[in-house]
Amino acid sequence: MNLRESAGIALTALRANKLRSFLTLLGTIIGVMSVIAVLSFVEGLNRFVSDKLLASGSNVFWVDKFGFITSQEEFEQVRDRPDITVEDADALRGRVSHARLVVAMASGTVTARYRNKDLKAVQLRGRSPGYEVIDDLTLAAGRQLGEVDDQRRRLVCVVGPEVAEELFGNLDPVGRHIRLGADTYEVVGVTEAKGKMLGQSQDRFAAVPIRTFIKTRMERGSVDIAIKSNDQASMPVAQQEARNVLRGRRHLRPGSPDNFGITTSENVMQLYNTLTGGIFVVTIGVAAISLLVGGIVIMNIMLVSVTERTREIGIRKAAGARRRDILSQFLVESTTLSLSGGILGIVAGVGLALFAAAVSPLPAAVSLPSIVAGILMSALIGIFFGSYPAWRAAQLDPIEALRYE
Amino acid sequence: MLIQIRGLHRVYQVGTEEVHALNGVSLDMAPNEYVAIMGPSGSGKSTLMNIIGCLDTPTSGSYLLKDTDVARLTDDELARIRNREIGFVFQTFNLLARADALHNVELPLVYAGIKHEERRQRARAALDLVGLSDRMKHKPNELSGGQRQRVAIARALVNKPSIILADEPTGNLDTATGVEIMAAFEGIWEQGNTVIVVTHEADVAAHARRIVRMRDGKIESDTGTPERQAVVVR
Repeated sequence: MNLRESAGIALTALRANKLRSFLTLLGTIIGVMSVIAVLSFVEGLNRFVSDKLLASGSNVFWVDKFGFITSQEEFEQVRDRPDITVEDADALRGRVSHARLVVAMASGTVTARYRNKDLKAVQLRGRSPGYEVIDDLTLAAGRQLGEVDDQRRRLVCVVGPEVAEELFGNLDPVGRHIRLGADTYEVVGVTEAKGKMLGQSQDRFAAVPIRTFIKTRMERGSVDIAIKSNDQASMPVAQQEARNVLRGRRHLRPGSPDNFGITTSENVMQLYNTLTGGIFVVTIGVAAISLLVGGIVIMNIMLVSVTERTREIGIRKAAGARRRDILSQFLVESTTLSLSGGILGIVAGVGLALFAAAVSPLPAAVSLPSIVAGILMSALIGIFFGSYPAWRAAQLDPIEALRYE
Repeated sequence: MLIQIRGLHRVYQVGTEEVHALNGVSLDMAPNEYVAIMGPSGSGKSTLMNIIGCLDTPTSGSYLLKDTDVARLTDDELARIRNREIGFVFQTFNLLARADALHNVELPLVYAGIKHEERRQRARAALDLVGLSDRMKHKPNELSGGQRQRVAIARALVNKPSIILADEPTGNLDTATGVEIMAAFEGIWEQGNTVIVVTHEADVAAHARRIVRMRDGKIESDTGTPERQAVVVR
């Protein structure tokens, strides 16, 4: 009962003086809001990254020229490495016994054209067979690119649904010819829609055989190779095999470092976790500062409240309230106050995250733990910063308090 | 004996000076007495009332309330005595401004830990007793001075204390209302309660069956006639 009464008193006071209450709670609101908003973005990014990594399926690693570099110095060290070629991919396909799939990949950007319709900024993907597993593509019509297309460097392509839609409208694209840059290709297949990721359409592409891509667009340059091992257990073996094959082809002496990179989703995940860990620390810092300020303001307003209500405290003591009764009354009040701020902050933070997600490519996902954290944090602030005012109230001498004007 | 006070001293430190507010007071009171404590300001009557009401503790001497020496109790124990044994009525009413009459009367029951339903019921009964059953949902600022003091009396009565302690209960009221309030005390006393009224008004004191006069921290006179004691109803 005492709890309900105290909470009621606090809420009545809040409502009676909306502007003052809002200003009092501003620090708490901003603190909780920033925590909720940032946690929502981090959660959204988490889902994005795991989606992205899962899109290639599990047990996939990549062989490329540079590997996984995160700094300028690292780049200086790797810039003069030899290119990775389609022949490397062929060698790996033949000799990595634990690989189920070896796919060479390269990409660029072109303008696609059908009759007099242009579509700019189409991602052109050079791919060797099996790419549909790595790219996670499903056919909507036609066929995928095959071995023969690649060997004969045929001018054929599989297009994403956005390209099909924009260029052909209601027409069936399969069998029709489009221009991709300088060359004319026959459309042999259309894929199912995948939607957007980080604001980027995943459906605005044209995939062509890797050898066709190299012949038409890449006199020199390096391809990337995606390798899918037979299963989780054979991942390390497959990586070691791939390393040995490439070192052999490049005549690297034992003990000298690799002059190519092998990247797994774990590497990416590690970097990603370091990044979001940084975001997390910064957020906690910002939130801690605004919550500290918010807490001090709440303490101030509670001290004012104790002074204003000295007589009430005297009346309650005369009626038999013990120190702990007064203490808990004011603690409940300060906690109600800060919790109100916390709830407003949660609403604002969720709103901010959803708004930003709607108008920008940033993903956002509101997580229950972040809301629980917001509520706990604001409650703790009320208890912590309300303690001193509540203690002061509890210590008041009843006679003095009753005489107070 | 309800109250047994022996050699009570209360010394305040005001700056470097010691003020002897009570200078050796001894006093006995039986249940169902109606006592007025009189005296000019500075006579020590308020200090005596505060000590009897367990709001304050004496510097020396003993105060037995129902055979318990309350002079040596802790703050929380004193709060418990105030809650169970004392009902206060103040000159300035001292009601919670933001609470309605019913809630004001409930206050001692809240701290007695009584459940909501029973609390409501007992507070209603107490307001009924002072003739305010139609004003339960009114806030103090919607009530007249006399009504406010009657709410305070209901609050003092609601936990069935041993002593009703009134400090200048008519000081802020006009004469007619004052008479009405004193009639209410009369009724309370007739129902078997012990009433102590602190006042400097002879009119008010005249309602009491015993008058204790104080001066300079001491009892100057203590007059009362046993045959004027009321017949205990219960």
